[in-house]
Formats: sequence, structure tokens, C-alpha cells
Amino acid sequence: MSSQNQSWTDRMYRMLLRILPFDFRVNFGGAMQRTFHEQASDVERKQGKVGLLKLWAETIAGMLQTAPGEHWQMLRHDTRYALRMMRKNKGFTAIAVITLALGIGANSAIFSVINGILLRPLPYLNGEQLVVMRQQAPGAGAGTMGFSVLEVNDYRQQNHTLSGMVEYHSMGFTLLSKTEAERVRTGVVSANFFDFFGVKPILGRTLLPADEEPGAPPVLVLTYEFWQRSQHGDPNIVGKTFEMNDKVHTVVGVLPPFPQYPNNNDVYMPTSACPARSSPKTIANRGARMVRVFGRLNSGVTQTQAQTDLATIAGRLQHEYAKFYPADTGFTATATPLREELVQQARPTLFVLLAAAGFVLLIACANVANFTLARVSQREQELLLRSALGAGRGRLLRQLVTESTILGLMAAALGLLLASLSVKLLVEFASRLTPRANEITIDGRVLLFTLLAALLTSIVSGSVLGFSSRQQLATGLREGARQSNLGKNRKRTRNTLIVAQVAFSFVLLIGAGLMLKSLVRLQSVDPGFVPQRVLTMDLDLNWSKYRDNSQYREFAHKLLEKVQVLPGVQHVAVASNFPLDPDLIAYGSGHSISTFQIEGQPLRAGETPPLTAVRLGTVDYFRTLGIPLIKGRAFAPTDNEKAAPVVVVNQALARHRWAGVDPIGKRITFDEGKTWDTVVGIVGDTKEFSLNQEGHDEAYGVMDQYPNVGSLLVRTTADPMLLANEVRRAVFDVDPQTAIANLQTLEQARGETLSAPRVMANLLALFAALALLIAATGIGGILALSVSQRIHEIGVRLALGAQPGDVLTMVIRQGMVLVIAGLACGLIGAFYMTRPLETFLFEVTPTDPMTFVLVGAVLAMTALAACYIPARRATKIDPLIALRHE
Amino acid sequence: MKSNPEIESYLPLTPALFHVLLALADGDKHGYAILKDVSLRTGDSVRLSTGTLYGIIKRLLNDGMIEESKRRPAADHDDERRIYYHLTSLGEQVAMAEAERHEKIVALARLKNVLGKRRTGEPA
Repeated sequence: MSSQNQSWTDRMYRMLLRILPFDFRVNFGGAMQRTFHEQASDVERKQGKVGLLKLWAETIAGMLQTAPGEHWQMLRHDTRYALRMMRKNKGFTAIAVITLALGIGANSAIFSVINGILLRPLPYLNGEQLVVMRQQAPGAGAGTMGFSVLEVNDYRQQNHTLSGMVEYHSMGFTLLSKTEAERVRTGVVSANFFDFFGVKPILGRTLLPADEEPGAPPVLVLTYEFWQRSQHGDPNIVGKTFEMNDKVHTVVGVLPPFPQYPNNNDVYMPTSACPARSSPKTIANRGARMVRVFGRLNSGVTQTQAQTDLATIAGRLQHEYAKFYPADTGFTATATPLREELVQQARPTLFVLLAAAGFVLLIACANVANFTLARVSQREQELLLRSALGAGRGRLLRQLVTESTILGLMAAALGLLLASLSVKLLVEFASRLTPRANEITIDGRVLLFTLLAALLTSIVSGSVLGFSSRQQLATGLREGARQSNLGKNRKRTRNTLIVAQVAFSFVLLIGAGLMLKSLVRLQSVDPGFVPQRVLTMDLDLNWSKYRDNSQYREFAHKLLEKVQVLPGVQHVAVASNFPLDPDLIAYGSGHSISTFQIEGQPLRAGETPPLTAVRLGTVDYFRTLGIPLIKGRAFAPTDNEKAAPVVVVNQALARHRWAGVDPIGKRITFDEGKTWDTVVGIVGDTKEFSLNQEGHDEAYGVMDQYPNVGSLLVRTTADPMLLANEVRRAVFDVDPQTAIANLQTLEQARGETLSAPRVMANLLALFAALALLIAATGIGGILALSVSQRIHEIGVRLALGAQPGDVLTMVIRQGMVLVIAGLACGLIGAFYMTRPLETFLFEVTPTDPMTFVLVGAVLAMTALAACYIPARRATKIDPLIALRHE
Repeated sequence: MKSNPEIESYLPLTPALFHVLLALADGDKHGYAILKDVSLRTGDSVRLSTGTLYGIIKRLLNDGMIEESKRRPAADHDDERRIYYHLTSLGEQVAMAEAERHEKIVALARLKNVLGKRRTGEPA
């Protein structure tokens, strides 16, 4: 063989050898090269180039056949060895697996939520084509308005970008079937609503165009949840009838579970069955905007194109019907992707939580790496021996990575178990953020994520280890190996890991601290009323029986009389709704916003009339809720239907509309001057929808003059829930066909509005506590190890007359220097990293000094406690034993 | 001598592995010498690649059937990169057991006249 050929062949063969495991190459690589060299020379001499090519083909094939088996054997060997080492160190293995499992579990859990809500396609037919349509008139003070029936028809006929449009609104109706009337939340929809969304019934059918014809027999489609809850999953439900709105309704089908937007309903009916929507007055009134509209984009049409199209139509409408679209309000129409609507509230929260969970995992990784490193120190001699016996560095690294991979996989299994146990809680939590909460499950993607998290964990902790060990072994071998010569680099790595753990924990603790402080602030917000000891409930009268105002008045009076005499009742009121009413928050029930005019302040041409929220209540409404009277008087029994109409305004309305002037005695009208209401009093502002919003303008009318029964409020002398049954009975005594919903105390209603921030604060606090715990065990453990390695030195110090106090200080100082360095890094990190929390915080800045100081103190104290334990042990060292130890 | 069950536990051997043991039966050899021996004795019908050969050598070393030979040829015939392998007593016994196994099969074949039909007149 020519020498040029020879070196080329040898080089090629050396490259080919790389597919074999490292150990194999170390043991046989040289001999294999020699053998092949001789073989190749012989073959080329005897058979020429053709023979050589044939030999190469055989050699490559043989190598490809041998390599997988050799790798597999190596892996099995490494795994067996790793498992043996783990069994030998059960304590370490348990701590490492649990620590990592907590980190991985937290991540898998949060990811399962993100997966269910943000990543999965919408469970609707071609969900990405669906848009929510809106009409907006920002200048009129009403951000979003609904659509009137006439407007729906206009958009349907004039658009060029949508392949379909459906309408929707939700109302509470009374369903009569059992002994007790039941209030059902009813979605009123176009007949093709379910086909539009691609929702197939699990029993019977959904709605048909014939159901929507005027005069068609009324039908109902039940939601899965209502069917289960109220009808106990009756398989023969189709064909059953219920009385509702004075008509017999037939159940035609049951829906599968699916995310309902914008709110959950119990049953669905076609538009023609809804008395409000089907009344000719509503249909003919362009201003009666009571429905929402969903659209489906034509294929190939973008959301922007659809938006432009709709805005054009809006402009045309404004031009044609100027009376209904005041000129200076910025009236327009928009289309927002449905996916966006469903998840926009959840997204920032979930990303913050994922980041927090990620931090926990990083801290756990650092901890495991640190403990493994410590263990490697103890195994130094073994590793050096193995190294000296020819196990190369790569081999040792591979052994360490195998160990950390097995740890990671065990932790992943445990973490996945933790995550799947928490799914129910997560669904509960997420349901406060999005209608898609029920889609949260542990599916293939979550499994994959967990596996990746575990592998990442192994790689991170394994490579820290490998990096450190590589240097150590190299030095160790060169210097002939005594532990004291090896330690420096490794100690630096360990210290860096501790500093990182403290820093990350600090950032997490700050995040949790800020959220908790914000929650406390929210909880202590003065809602403008006294929520303690008030029983509340929403009432739905069978309104088809109540034809005129006198019947509502009579109902209210009778109910007040009955409840007033119950023992323990202080004040009682019937009202249209009340502040923080769950129905008000979820559905805007009973929330009427009305335009009004002030006597003597005529509108200029084109000027938009002012708006205010209007609430109606009986005489004792303010007393029952504890809303303070600021000026003038509250309602009196004399303010009845025969007396001149009166109105009470809140401070916000007084300030906005009568700046500097006393409004008492002034008159306003809600019906363009047909009746004028005299302002008789000013009351305090109340928080209506949430505790972190400012009070709105609010006008109060008295029930006798403007009857509207929506809820009952009872202030009691003791625990209000004790009276719940009696009050309930009183309601049924007055009218057994009244449906009662949301029976709870006002404090509970107030608490519910805080559930989303509370859950977020709790989760962050949980993650931060985990991080603190992991970091503290890390610091304590490493310090304990360092003490055990310095027994001799400490013994000498003590023998030379050092006091236990000196030793204590020395060890604690060693730990606390790292903690302080970590705090310093964490401080800088937290300063920047808590910024995204700003939107979640109420009356707390992301760099709140108080929180930073407090959290720093908590972390420092915890770390101090963790340092104290090994430090105390150091003082107990007996110099004699320590010296003999050497 | 090792107990029979222990020897039996290695059987049956793969043809390639058996050939490597046979190659070492008449003296220590280095890798390329083994390859040549096998291919010569089998009339090129068994051709081992270097990868396969050293996979087998690793297994035989681990199982203690061969060992690295301490005896080396005279310096002018030697190449220090070569490793010579030596059949251990275990290796010998395993090779013998495998040969006996084959012998029994051949005897059976002869008894059943499977072998006789094709090779009539040939000495046993």
C-alpha cells in the first residue's frame, strides 16, 4: 500500500472508531487500528483497489453492527453501577429525588395549565377562524356596547369577510318542574349557533332553523353540567318538558362539556323563545342593543381585513342613522380572535407562575448538583482510582451524567404524580381566569414536557458536576491526589451554587411578598359598605306572572314584612342588585346604565348625554348595607309611588356633574323630561365590580317608585348564615315560584372577587416557600460537609485555645458571607425581574422597599438558622478525637 | 476442570465466536492473525470485520476465555502495537464442549442418514 493511501486509510479508520463507546476505544482502539492497517495493506496488495473498497464496505457494516450493542452494554453497566451507588446512599438519593420532584412537579403542573389553555387548539370547529364582534363608542363612556337585532341584520347582509355570524345573549329564567322553582342561566342563541361552533350533542339534537321561526314550539338544549347536576344525568331527558316563561318547553338535546364564552349557561334556547329578544319592540328598536355577536372569517381573510370591513359598515350605519350613533363618540366596530378573548386574562398570570416554577427547578438543580459535588468529594479516591486504572475522563463524566439522569427520571415520575394530583385544584384555579379551564389534563405533551424538564435537570446538574470534576481529576492526577489539594476549584463551584440559590430564592420570595402585600391591601380596601353580617341572595321572580309594577311592589313589601320580624334581623332591603353581586360581576345582571339630563343644563347639539349606573332599592337599602349618608336624607317610607320621585346620588356622581354646587334639591330626568326626580341625598361611593376599581357614578331610585326585584339583603345581629333557611322559607311563603340563587354572605361575595389574586399569591408563596426550604437545606448541608472536612483544623484551633464561640462565629461567617453575596445578586435580579408583576399589584410598587427589607430579613434569618446547626456541631468537636482522626 | 453446568451456560456459541476460539487453539495470535486464520480455514466463507472481531475479543476477555498473552515473538518480528491473545483453560473447555455439541449433532445426522445420503462412500 502506498504511504499516502496508508495514512488516508488510517485516518478514515480512526474516524470510524469514534462511533464506538469511549471505553471500547481506549481498550481496543490501538489494536484495531493495527489490525485494520495490516488487513488493508494485504488486501490492496492482493486484490487492488476493488478489494480495498470491498473491505471498507465490510468494515463499516461490521462497525455499525457492533456499536449499538457495545453502547447498550455500557449504558446497562453505568445504570447498574449508578443504582448501586444510589442504594448505598439512600438518604442522599431520597433528598435529591424529592427536591427535584418538587421542582419538576411544579413545572409540570403549571405547564399542564398552559398546555390546556394556551397551546391546545380551540375545541371548536376551525376555532382559529372565530372572532368576537363588538361595537364600541369610547366617547360615550360605554366602552363596549351590544348589538341590536337590526344591527345584526345590517352586518350580516353588508359584510364581505365573514362566512357566518351568530348572536348570543344570556338571561336568568325560572324553570318550574320540581317542588322548588329553579333559576336557570339561559343562553339565547341563533339556531345555527352549535353548528357554527361545531359542538355536537351527546343526546338528541341541537337547535334547528325551524326552532327559531316565530311561533315555533319552545325547545331547550341542556348543557352537560346542568344535565348532570340538576337532572342527575337522566338518559331519557330528551322529550321531557319544563315550564318556563309561562310556556311548556321541550328538551331536544344535551350538549357535551365545552368551554362556554362569555359565560356559563345551564340551558340554551333559540332567539324566538326568549320573550325579551322576540318582542316586536326589541326587534324594531335599533337602540335596543342586547346581544353579542360571533363571526367566522372567510378562509384566507385576516382579522385585520375583517375589522376594516366591519368598521366600514359601522361608518355607514352612523351616517344613515345619526340619531342612534352620536357623532363625537368614536363609534366603530371591531373583530377580536375568540382564542384571544378566551385566554387573555390567563396568559400573563400563567407566564409569571411558569417563571416562578422554573426558578424553583433551577434552585433544586443547583441543590442536587451541590450535594452530588459534595458526594463526589467523598468518592474522590474511588474516582481517582478508576481514573488511574484507565477509565478516562469522558467515562467518568458519563458515569456521573448517568447517575444524574436516573435521579432526574425518578424525580420526573414523582413530579408527574404530584402534578396529576394537583390537576383538580389547578382546574379550579384556572376557571377563575378562563372558560377553558376544563381542558386541563395530563396529556402526551405534558409527559413530554416533564421528560424534557427531567433531562434538562440532569444535563444542568450533570454538566456543573462534569465541569468541576474534569478540572479536579486533571489536577488530582497531576498532583498525585490528596483531597486538600483538590478542593479549591470545587469549593468555588459549590459556593457559586449557594450564592445562585440564595439569589433565585430572594427573587421568588420578593415576588410572593409583593403579591401577598397586594392581597392584604385589596382585602383591607374599604368597599364603601359594611360587609360583615349581611346575608345576600339573588331572586328571580317568575316574571311572566308579574305583569305590572304594583305586583313587584307587593312582592317586595310582603317579603320585607316577613323577614323583618325574624329574630336576629336588624335591617332588610330588596334591591335590583348590590355591590360585588356575583351575578352583577359575571353577567352584568340588573346593571343598568342610563343616560340622564340635569334640569337647567340643556345639551349642546351633538353633545353626548351623561351616563350613570342606576340601582333601585327599598327604603332601608343604605342602612342594610351600611353605606354612609353624606348629605341630605336617605329614602323614607313616604317616597312611594304617589309621591314626587326622588333620587339619591353617590359622591362620584355629585362631584362629576355638580362640581362645587350642592346637588340637593336639583332635578334630573332619565326619560327625556317625562318625569323629573329630585336629588334628596348624597351617599358614599361603593366598589361595584371589584375592589381595585374606583367607584362609578351611581344614582339610586326607590323601589316603590321604580320597582325592580333582583336580590334580597338582610343585616343580622349574629352569623347571617344561621338565618338562611328561615329567610328562604319567607321568600317561598311570599311566592313559591321564586328562584333563589347565590345565597351567601356579603363577606363571601367580597372574598370571591379576591379569589384570583389570592390563588396567584398563594401559588407564588408556595413556590417561594419551596425555594426557601431547598436553599436552606442546601446551605446547611454544604456547611455541615465543610465542617466534617475541617474536623482536624477545627480540633487544632480548639486545642490551641480557641473558644467554642470563636468556632461558632467562624463557621457561621463562612455560610453568611455566601448568603449576603446571594442577597446582593438577588436584590439586583429582583429589581428587574419583578417588573412584569406590576399589572398584578394593587397599591404596591414592584420595588416596594418594605417588602425588599422584610423578605431580605426572612431569608437572612432562615439562612442563619441553617448555618447555626452545623456551626453548633463544630463547637462540640473534641480536639483529642479530632487530632486522632487525622 | 470447571463444572459442566458452568461450561454449558456459555453454549451454544455463535459461529464467529467459535471460530475465534478455534483460531487460538493452536497457539497465541494477534488480531490480524486471527482474522487470517479464520478466513483461511473456512475458505473465506466466514469473514470477520475488525469491529466484529474486537467485539468478540472483548466478550471473551470479560468471560475469561482468553487473556492477553505475555509471551511475544522475537523483537524483530514484533510490532509493539499488536496485542497477542491466549486461550485460557476455560476457553479450551468451552471450545471443546462446543465441538462435542457439534459432534453429537453430526452423529445424529449420520444416524438419521441425513449426512449419508449426500456423501455416500466418504469415510466417517
